Amino acid sequence: MDVISHKQIVIQALELSNQSRSDETQIPLLDTTILFGQNGYLDSMALVALLMDIEDAFQEQSIDISLSDEKAMSLSRSPFKDIPSITQYVHDVVAVQT
Amino acid sequence: MQARNIMITGASQGIGKVLAEHFLAMGDTVIGVSRSESGIVSDNYHHHLADVTEEADAKRVFASVKKQLGALDVLINNAGIARMNAFALTPISNVQKIMNTNFLGTFIFCQKAINLLRKSPHARIINLSTVAVPLNLAGEAAYAASKAAVETLTRIMAKEIGSFGITCNAIGPSPIATQLISGVGEDKINKLIQQQAIKKMAKVEDVTNIVDFYLQPNSHMVTGQILYLGGIS
Repeated sequence: MDVISHKQIVIQALELSNQSRSDETQIPLLDTTILFGQNGYLDSMALVALLMDIEDAFQEQSIDISLSDEKAMSLSRSPFKDIPSITQYVHDVVAVQT
Repeated sequence: MQARNIMITGASQGIGKVLAEHFLAMGDTVIGVSRSESGIVSDNYHHHLADVTEEADAKRVFASVKKQLGALDVLINNAGIARMNAFALTPISNVQKIMNTNFLGTFIFCQKAINLLRKSPHARIINLSTVAVPLNLAGEAAYAASKAAVETLTRIMAKEIGSFGITCNAIGPSPIATQLISGVGEDKINKLIQQQAIKKMAKVEDVTNIVDFYLQPNSHMVTGQILYLGGIS
């Protein structure tokens, strides 16, 4: 799977998140949207839910990955900031863990 | 009531086995987890041999549940061990075993269960504690401390996973005649019971009653609570 496929999985997981959010708090699915961190749309538990949805999507393709890594949570440049950074992080994790 | 998928650790004996049989009789599906084989025979019973202290075992169990059943509504962390000993004489290896099984095992199973539980409309986690915590029972330092950790975990998890619609509560049984206390002297049990408001041994059914209460859909506002039997507070 390439980066584009991984981005599609991230976006589908965000679409799932949007299903349980009110109209006022919908997450714009844009590369520039700040997802996590200062002024981000996701609090820590919403981020956990997003990561679990992404892991589920991979598991459905028999790819077992774990995204909630302590190192990732403490990196000074958060990999969860926006769609491009999460996509890159997922891509890197898939490359290492599979 | 719609049939539920209920996971019980330590399901092969004692309270865990009685709970498993109780839910099977109610038409639920039970996923039992223990280190030993189970004697329970039912089409709605799925047994997994696993060590609750091993993360890899927990991952395997939950992956199997997801594949087999697709959903989980309830996790009951019942697996536990107890060793009575004076604090000064307690072997450190015993402390590690008690903390691993009672606290770490509960922590691991709660963490791995969240992903399946969050999809349930009435998701519940129930942890087993003990009256040894509020009574600060002499001779049970390691056991009571491990269960105090479980209680704190229960309260904090309730806050953190409340947004997923999962309630998290605990039960602190007073003495019940199970294998867990079979090595404790009658005198000691009697002294303990005298400290209770209701001065008699509890039955496993008293635990079942509280579990049923926590599982009711109407109990959706009850979370982060520790309920002790026998009038201990």
